[in-house]
Amino acid sequence: MIYKNKITLFFFLLLGFQLSAKDYIATEFGVKNDGLTLNTCSIQKAIDFIHEHGGGRLVFESGNYVTGSIYLKSNVTLQLDYGATILGSTNPFDYVKDKKIGWMSMIFAVNQENIGITGKGIINGRGFTTANNMVNYIHRGVYVDPLKYDRPNETNRPQNIYFRECTNIKIIDITLKDPASWNQTYDQCKNLYVDHITVDSKSYWNNDGIDVVDCDGVVIKNSYFDAADDVLCFKSHSAQHMCQNVVVDNCVGRSSANGLKFGTVSRGGFKNFKVTNLTIYDTFRSAITFAAVDGGEIENIVIDGVRSINTGNVIYLRIGDRWSSRKKPYMKNITISNVYAEVPFGKPDAGYNFEGPIEDLPRNISPASIVGLVENKIQNVTLKNIQIVYPGSGNPLYAKRGLTPAELDGIPEMREAYPEFSQFKELPAWGFYVRHAEGITFENVTFTALKKDYRPSVVLDDVKNATFSGLVVNEPESVGKQQVFPYKTSNLIIK
Amino acid sequence: MQKLFLKICLIIVMSQGALCAKDYNASLFGIKSDGVTLNTPSIQKAIDFISEKGGGKLKFYVGRYLTGSIQLKSNVTIELNEGAVLVGTSSIYDYVGANGIKALIVADGQQNIGVSGKGVIEGQGPTVLEQIAKQIQKGYLQETISQASPALIALNNCTSINIEGFNLQNACGNVIALTACKQVRLAGLKIKSTTNKETKGLVFSKVDGIKLENLFIETVVSEIKSDGLSTNISLVNCQYASGKSLIFKN
Amino acid sequence: MIKNLLIVIPLTIFICFHAQAEDYKASMFGIKSNGTTMNTTSIQKAIDFIHEKGGGRLVFYVGRYLTGTIQLKSNVTIHLEEGATIVGSTNIYDYNINGPHFSSLISAYKAENIGLTGKGVIDGQGRDLAYTLLDQVQKGILKDELANDRPALRRPKGIYLRECKNVEVSGIMVKNAAEWVVVFDQCENLKIDKITVDSKAFWNNDGIDIVDCKNVVLSNSFIDASDDAICFKSHDPTKLCENVEVRNNVARSSANGIKFGTVTSGGYKNFKIVNNKVYDTFRSAITIATPDGGVIDNIFVDSLYAYNTGNSIYLRIGARWNKGRTGSMNNITIQNMYCEIPNSKPDAGREYEGPVEDLPRNISPASIVGLPGQYISNVTLRNIQIVVPGNSNPTYAYRGIKPADLDSIPEMPAAYPEYSQFKELPAWGFYVRHVKNLTIENVTLTAQGKEYRPAIVLDDVQGATFSKMKYIEPESNKKKQVHTYKSSEVLLKK
Repeated sequence: MIYKNKITLFFFLLLGFQLSAKDYIATEFGVKNDGLTLNTCSIQKAIDFIHEHGGGRLVFESGNYVTGSIYLKSNVTLQLDYGATILGSTNPFDYVKDKKIGWMSMIFAVNQENIGITGKGIINGRGFTTANNMVNYIHRGVYVDPLKYDRPNETNRPQNIYFRECTNIKIIDITLKDPASWNQTYDQCKNLYVDHITVDSKSYWNNDGIDVVDCDGVVIKNSYFDAADDVLCFKSHSAQHMCQNVVVDNCVGRSSANGLKFGTVSRGGFKNFKVTNLTIYDTFRSAITFAAVDGGEIENIVIDGVRSINTGNVIYLRIGDRWSSRKKPYMKNITISNVYAEVPFGKPDAGYNFEGPIEDLPRNISPASIVGLVENKIQNVTLKNIQIVYPGSGNPLYAKRGLTPAELDGIPEMREAYPEFSQFKELPAWGFYVRHAEGITFENVTFTALKKDYRPSVVLDDVKNATFSGLVVNEPESVGKQQVFPYKTSNLIIK
Repeated sequence: MQKLFLKICLIIVMSQGALCAKDYNASLFGIKSDGVTLNTPSIQKAIDFISEKGGGKLKFYVGRYLTGSIQLKSNVTIELNEGAVLVGTSSIYDYVGANGIKALIVADGQQNIGVSGKGVIEGQGPTVLEQIAKQIQKGYLQETISQASPALIALNNCTSINIEGFNLQNACGNVIALTACKQVRLAGLKIKSTTNKETKGLVFSKVDGIKLENLFIETVVSEIKSDGLSTNISLVNCQYASGKSLIFKN
Repeated sequence: MIKNLLIVIPLTIFICFHAQAEDYKASMFGIKSNGTTMNTTSIQKAIDFIHEKGGGRLVFYVGRYLTGTIQLKSNVTIHLEEGATIVGSTNIYDYNINGPHFSSLISAYKAENIGLTGKGVIDGQGRDLAYTLLDQVQKGILKDELANDRPALRRPKGIYLRECKNVEVSGIMVKNAAEWVVVFDQCENLKIDKITVDSKAFWNNDGIDIVDCKNVVLSNSFIDASDDAICFKSHDPTKLCENVEVRNNVARSSANGIKFGTVTSGGYKNFKIVNNKVYDTFRSAITIATPDGGVIDNIFVDSLYAYNTGNSIYLRIGARWNKGRTGSMNNITIQNMYCEIPNSKPDAGREYEGPVEDLPRNISPASIVGLPGQYISNVTLRNIQIVVPGNSNPTYAYRGIKPADLDSIPEMPAAYPEYSQFKELPAWGFYVRHVKNLTIENVTLTAQGKEYRPAIVLDDVQGATFSKMKYIEPESNKKKQVHTYKSSEVLLKK
């Protein structure tokens, strides 16, 4: 309950920093809206001027404004009017790789406060062209990059927004599209308020929707995301920091990776999240993925109201041991309620330009999974009012994982692997697989398989204190089939 | 003994090889000759790259290369071949300075640098001046007109400089400004800059060792100005537009 | 017998009609108008199909049709309805870069009765295309010496028709090729009418090039080019450009408005250039040059109007790639011409401005320059007005009229012929050297500022008649405006 108070406090703070906005028109500084002129220096001058004169809004009226890297300063808001588009230069040399941050971006802010980007305008990174121009420079030998996977490293491609160690940020109403790398990153920031934004982020590889890294006090609401990589992505790059006190409400997302994701980099952790009214569709991997693989702590997470349509997986909770550097990760007190999910038989993001990578098969459709480590169990997970519809039709001739001790123990632990719902290949359940967990409550949960599956609905392996009440399993031709299979499990209660 | 000698020879040859000036075409760095693409960061990238690789020439061929301030680095020469025009942008916030003097080409604390060829540096003086006046009037630019007016070339605290052959025209500020430089050669330059009445041709201060050869200078006010602290100045065959020989008054 | 004949006649008529007028809609061949589908193979299939069926028109309606190289075949006309745009791919590998002839977006070889008509557009996307080619060269995939830091080979032209007969190009707009935009090479019976050429996308972008063609009419067209606008060439020493009429066109160029050359292997005969306008042009309104051994004979220019143009007239014999052959230029008439020359660069601010030369040079005069012993002969200039800015500064650049000064003007036989090639010239109106039988009648030369040079300098001119001449220059009372040197039979009439 403490974190709720914190969030309330945070709202007051937000109201507090309504800028005494004096408006400055960008073109007055010689900024050109012709879609052709590179305005980097003039926009920077305008920001600096407003910053030095008590703050205000830099207003971009309708038109196309080309720019390279600019730095937003305290008390300055970029106001993009309806019809205004900030166009990223397509020349990678027009961008700075910030020394402290180590990434390229179009709009930077470092150690600033009371900043924002607002209005119904568009930020268009034109990242596909920029990224390909970068590839060309690398081949010519004038920029150094190993071209891993035949593309420049994420840090050598500009994002649209990268704010670091900033306080009181407002991102409202804008459309963010086509970055060359991640779209928008808020790193070690305090009081981030994102409302009513539209994100179209599928122009190149690693196009995340929004990345919130080690931030304290975050509201993201009423926003729409379409991304080639993770949609709502919370990360923790620093073991000394964490993402905490976060509210996500009324967001819709599509992804060729995950919908709501904690991680992958998860050194510090994630605490006090409330996520409500989340819709995820046409998404390749999981609607919800929490990963604690780098020593981070995940605690007090409430998710209420999820629709997951045509999405490859619903829930994946995972503790791993990848870059933990001896820190002991944990995950506890997770409540997920009021979920309706449909998992398709085919690839949910097929046909998108930067489709999620097709893995080496075979694997029948994977279940939702909660997978800790032997010595480090996931604790106190409550799943309430959940309906998941699976295609079923798991075929043992195609891929098989049976229920014998040898087979269950044969599932690899994969402590150091990249956490992904499909990482174990074939799993022995079609609905839910739980391993190395403690205190799991299923309340009013319905699993439906549209066709017969060779596997049971639920497999529990090394679980202490599991309670099922109101579990309904629908599967054709399955009269008398044991749908919940416990193994090495103690204190299982099925009501 | 002989082996050691060979090794030393080899090392000398190799080190000279590394320092040996290489030529780089502007297009390698994506620099565009279309007159509308602002090339500042690409030209800067090219200069930095060449300097880091031990030096060489950045060659511009016929075409219009729009740019803001670029900073020359040690062992780099910009070669403007005939027809290549380095065009100063009319956007005034794209200029930076060396020792407080803004310019299209600046260098601070560099050595062995040059600009050569038969091309042109075009300052777009009247347009830039108009923009400066507007920005000052609006209160956004808090400098005097002369502080804000970019020269074509401003070098500070540089050694071993060769500026040779090309045409300089329509500066907004002064044409060439040198402060605290050593071993400077300016040769065969054709300076025509009458669009701003305040423009001076050459301005220098605390320069030690400067050769001026075959210069043609046409400006409205003083063609050449020194603060009297410069030493070792030689003048050969330099002319004003009026036809008078250029005489240097220290 | 009669019965049979009666059947045959309508059949023949039907076949003729069928062959000429059958229209095929592009969509029939799966050609897509969305601007992103690559249509190369489907457009080619359509052309081949229509060709094999005896001919007809391939009709494109409003939309953007992306394609690489397509080859026109006999009896096929591409008809672009208003709003239809053929869009060139920006991938260099979509073009015929390995063929025996120049690469181009639209090509034809030895085809007859072909056409490009309608009110649509052909857009080569040449700048992006040139950059992708350059990038392939920079990466070492394609070889190119990068003359002037640009790809010299393979840059696709817009339209390149070779050895074709009975060609009609009318109504359309052609723009933004990576190199020359509209080119006809060794073609016969060409009709080019009411086309618009916008050729400023890249370097060396000529507007229209007519190379070694016979029986050409170019009329009612507008050409805006970053290199020569209307350009006649002769690449083959055994061929000629002949019987050409150029009428009612408007041209702008960052090189020359109307140009004969530069490559002039065979030559040019029987030209009528009537009622054309040139404006905002960097070099000469008209340049006629034979630097490569070509023969030029019987060129008639009437009613040429040039505004804001760097030079009016430049006639030149050179010896560049002539390989022992001797170029000649005879029987040139230019009449009813008006030309205004500005003090500043006429094409300043253009993206591909004409190349700024290494200075100094004061404004150059119109020039007629042969070579020693190789005279340009029978030149008539009649009813001409030329206005120049004057104000030359002898300190900036100087060429006097003393024998030593005049002899120091280089002959430059092997140089690229350009009115400004000699740098400072000693006259402000006309400089004439190595010319026989020059007639100048009713010519008015106006200098708006004072000049240190005379209006006209004749050097090695054998036979010249001046009549009804008028010189207007401030503060020029009693100034001798005509200077003759090493010349004979020069007649100055009132």
